[in-house]
Amino acid sequence: MNDAFLISPESEHRGAGCPNVNDLTEEQIRAELDLILDRRNADTRLSTMGAGSDDLDAGRRYLANTVLGGWHVPTWPREHGGQDASVNQNSLIGRVLREFVVPDLYPFAIGLGMVGPALLEHGTNAQQTDWLKPIASGESIWCQMFSEPEAGSDLANVALSALQDGDEWILGGQKTWTSRAVWAQWAICLARTDAAQPKHKGLTMFAIPMSLAGVEVRPLMQMNRDAHFSEVFVDGARLSDQWRIGEVGEGWRVAMTVLAHERAGGGSRGGGDGNARGLKLPSWIADLQVLVGEQTGDWRNKVAALYARDAASRWTAQRASDEARSTGSPGPAGSGAKLRTVNSYKGRSYLANSTSGARGMLEDSHGYIETLTAPSMSIRGGTDEIQRNILGERVLGLPGEPRLDRDVPWNESRRGLI
Amino acid sequence: MTEDSLVDPLVTETAHRLFSEICDHESIQAAEARGQAPEIWNAFAETGFPWISIDEGAGGSGGSLLDALEVLRLVGYHAAPIPAAETGILGGWLLASSGQELPDGITTVVPNGGENATGSISGEEVLISGRALRVPWARIAERIVIPLAIEDQTVIASVDSAQCDIEPMTNMAGEPRDTVNFRNVRVPLALATPDVDLEAFRFRGALSRAALMAGAIEKMSQLTVSYTNDRVQFGRPVAKFQAVQQHLVWGAQDAALARMVAETAAREATRGAAQFEIAAAKLVANQAAARATKACHQAHGAMGMTQEYPLHHLSRRLWSWRKEYGGDAEWSKWLGQVAVSRGADQLYPLITGGSAALN
Repeated sequence: MNDAFLISPESEHRGAGCPNVNDLTEEQIRAELDLILDRRNADTRLSTMGAGSDDLDAGRRYLANTVLGGWHVPTWPREHGGQDASVNQNSLIGRVLREFVVPDLYPFAIGLGMVGPALLEHGTNAQQTDWLKPIASGESIWCQMFSEPEAGSDLANVALSALQDGDEWILGGQKTWTSRAVWAQWAICLARTDAAQPKHKGLTMFAIPMSLAGVEVRPLMQMNRDAHFSEVFVDGARLSDQWRIGEVGEGWRVAMTVLAHERAGGGSRGGGDGNARGLKLPSWIADLQVLVGEQTGDWRNKVAALYARDAASRWTAQRASDEARSTGSPGPAGSGAKLRTVNSYKGRSYLANSTSGARGMLEDSHGYIETLTAPSMSIRGGTDEIQRNILGERVLGLPGEPRLDRDVPWNESRRGLI
Repeated sequence: MTEDSLVDPLVTETAHRLFSEICDHESIQAAEARGQAPEIWNAFAETGFPWISIDEGAGGSGGSLLDALEVLRLVGYHAAPIPAAETGILGGWLLASSGQELPDGITTVVPNGGENATGSISGEEVLISGRALRVPWARIAERIVIPLAIEDQTVIASVDSAQCDIEPMTNMAGEPRDTVNFRNVRVPLALATPDVDLEAFRFRGALSRAALMAGAIEKMSQLTVSYTNDRVQFGRPVAKFQAVQQHLVWGAQDAALARMVAETAAREATRGAAQFEIAAAKLVANQAAARATKACHQAHGAMGMTQEYPLHHLSRRLWSWRKEYGGDAEWSKWLGQVAVSRGADQLYPLITGGSAALN
């Protein structure tokens, strides 16, 4: 699969004088992509969300190729690695891209899908200039230092502190479940700058170079033997005020932008096993057909139900993502999309595993890594329960959970005490 | 209830204490890395636990099948990385039933469905060849037992593992499920008693897994209740949230269900015919395992996905055991065929009477 991404740097790309991307037809987009990418075929197999893979090179090569024409993040400004595409044109490009081999961009997804859009909304010009292009080109990997041992689902309860010292900040505390920290050059970090404010206030967002003195990453081994998430210990790390994202005390608002983009799946384009256009069957069904002995009615029923669910979840995710791009701020539809996408992934994994019969217990069986990864999908990026809560409160208008700590100064709240 | 339909409380107490002392998170992790846990096995074997239910005259430890299954339940509960079922109620049982010597060490058995190991009778010997798949702990076993149907007879071949070529393979739980190649190994011909055949072995395998699974689901449920009571988010233990309580209820229900069916099957098996109860127990345990692992993982959040927290010792074992000695489809089909072949009028008597109604 690696050769697919070896494209010479001299290959055609969208330089000055090319027609505006918003004027391109579907055929023209396809023709341009044909110059830099390989078509996807029935044999294309890609990992999803990095499960079982530590490959950074495939994604780097793909992004290095596509950034020349701004193809991966078309809506971003041209100077930052995009091509100022309209929302509709972006959707069209996304659809055409599905016909090509786009590797699993899991290592790059925080930068591409979450930090990038948040910087476009909340970052200074200098920050955008410094950080966006390297994200789009795959040069820099970002991670998200949000969760802490006592602040998981209750994200606003973060305790990692940032204290101002002249035009610097001194950071101390611990993060956990920091996906991609082992690979990252940069982190977006939610810190408490004023402990006397209620928990959602008094938070500020920073960008941290992972090489900064006082930042230590300790990978955690997962059940599926990946070590993709880590604990991050921060002890007296000194940070320039230029690396603050958004205003002091506005960290929660920035975090919400980041998370809404995560749910909307902004960065998830690429990888996985969707149904590429023009293929008779998605490769997951082709694989199941090889594994299954007898195609019983029950088995076909399960495959068909999954296929339908998969298609629905893909279009829902696409709609949420388009909506996010057109309004600039993703709404609760992203929560629905995440629930469906996760459900689909789990369904495919479990069906592959059960289709393998007794063989499916062995570590070299098809669907093995997916089965061990599946439970994490409804936990990472906001649990199913958190997503349903968002839908309940913001879509259905149900009464909110009682919040005992709403107006209580954070340092007087009952965090972790009962 | 008669005396022999009760578990000896001393068995429960002793086995539970033994595993509590020697089988902790670190030792299970270490066993996974090494592919064996000699300290746990030796302590376990020293008590004679592996050979419960096999007559003392045949080299066993005596005691009832019910007691043996209770030990297996505790093996599952503690996620003990040892070939307890293989050495005892499966391999040991096959050896004893064919009048063969029980080894002092570990016995394993080529599982039902471990295709392609074949045997042919040649005078007073059996010639074994072929390749057996998913053989539990073969790499550390002293004897590898293969039940074979040859010319209307059930032959129990007991092969010295040193005469086999063993390729290591691992299941989801990190336990050995090796590939064993037999290259025309000769062993003395030994026939099983008439009540022991491949079908009986298949059911006994399922019974062993149902007992292990009942224990593992119970422990998983307990871990989850305890973790969610400790874990505070939004100013209260997460166990106070209804959405989390729903997961806890699934875990607890499935633990109760799996234990109930395993115990019913064990009791009936101790009395005699128990095909219906065993088939139902394995199917119910399989389904309970699928639901309970989902619920318990979800309630644990990210913590449950780490190697550092013990939940995965249980969930990965459950996913593996679920596939051994009959997956959901196999037992659903068996039960469905039995019910259908007897007709609608006999359905209720079958449900209430169980295996006794089959004869």
